Amino acid sequence: MSKRREEDPQTAAARRRRSYGFLARFIGLLVVFYLIVASNPVNDHVIVPFTAGIAAVSGAFLDAIGEPVSVAGTEIRSEGFAVNIENGCNGVETALLFGSAVLAFPAAWARRLLGLLIGFFAIQAINLVRVVTLFWVGLHKPALFHSSHTVLWQSAIVLFGVLLFLFWAARESRAKSGTIAEGR
Amino acid sequence: MVDRRAALRVLLAFVAALVVWSTFSRPYERLVARSTEAVLRAFERPAVTRLEAVDPGFRVERRDFPPGSPRPGLPAADLHFNFVLLASLFALDRKPWEGGRVARLLLAGAVLFLVHVVALALQVQSVYATALGPWSEARYGPFARNVWAGGFHFYQIAGRFAAPFAIWWALRRGDSADEGEPSRRARRGGRRKKKRN
Repeated sequence: MSKRREEDPQTAAARRRRSYGFLARFIGLLVVFYLIVASNPVNDHVIVPFTAGIAAVSGAFLDAIGEPVSVAGTEIRSEGFAVNIENGCNGVETALLFGSAVLAFPAAWARRLLGLLIGFFAIQAINLVRVVTLFWVGLHKPALFHSSHTVLWQSAIVLFGVLLFLFWAARESRAKSGTIAEGR
Repeated sequence: MVDRRAALRVLLAFVAALVVWSTFSRPYERLVARSTEAVLRAFERPAVTRLEAVDPGFRVERRDFPPGSPRPGLPAADLHFNFVLLASLFALDRKPWEGGRVARLLLAGAVLFLVHVVALALQVQSVYATALGPWSEARYGPFARNVWAGGFHFYQIAGRFAAPFAIWWALRRGDSADEGEPSRRARRGGRRKKKRN
């Protein structure tokens, strides 16, 4: 009845090996990327300026929707509310997850790099919406800020990153299938 | 795999998991606190750590803390909200309630519980190693401080998000289209196309 039952044991074993191979590469890459991102020089010279850039763009968006704010470094401040964008809120963690999964997935390098690039910008676009809406919630509905910040948006953005990877992976598999079929 | 229906299922599961998570957070935190306390005490000589689930979060007690000194408090939601992610991922299956999928979700939940226990143990050790001033310096060397603090920081930055994905991936019923393998249907379709040509 199910696709699994139709598989012969060898195919199933090969599929499991590939699946666990992906998982091992994913975890290995995640640890490597974490060590890079968490090192002080990278944090100070890349992550913090990048986060300040997110704060500046978010500030511009907030100004555009009629919420006058000032931005200093990674902090966004208005008369009634202020947030400091820290690691964990800059979309980098979701990008690490997405990047590790894409690089661990068996696909052509050019397609992986394209996937990385598009995925990174998509994640940052969603993260921008997150920062702007969280600031708005903090300013106008402060009682909802903590739950929106800790649970709702964190889960949503990581889920977005995972779904984006699965979407990309399914497309890559279809493209690969097409290439093999053409070659027969 | 990620079509419109799957996205809708994930959205519904996300909302349902949020309700379950917020309803059972308090008893779950008590369970995690008790289990982590048992793990920590198993490696302590003498066993002095006590963990309490308080509102909000966890409070670290030690029998050898001076009476009247402030007790470290730890946030709880950051530790275990990733249950919502795990449940949402299991909704990607076409019929999440059929064919042993519920059993796999329960097994995944049990594995995630173990991840939470380990993460909380790392967090407590990280507090002991880095946050108690001279007390920490007297008991933990630079290597131990880095190991405990780095371990918990990894969970905060990457682990708590990666754990649900890794558990789901390891336990899911594999779909060859997601693993870089051309699906059987695609191969058959390709062959037919070739014949027609």
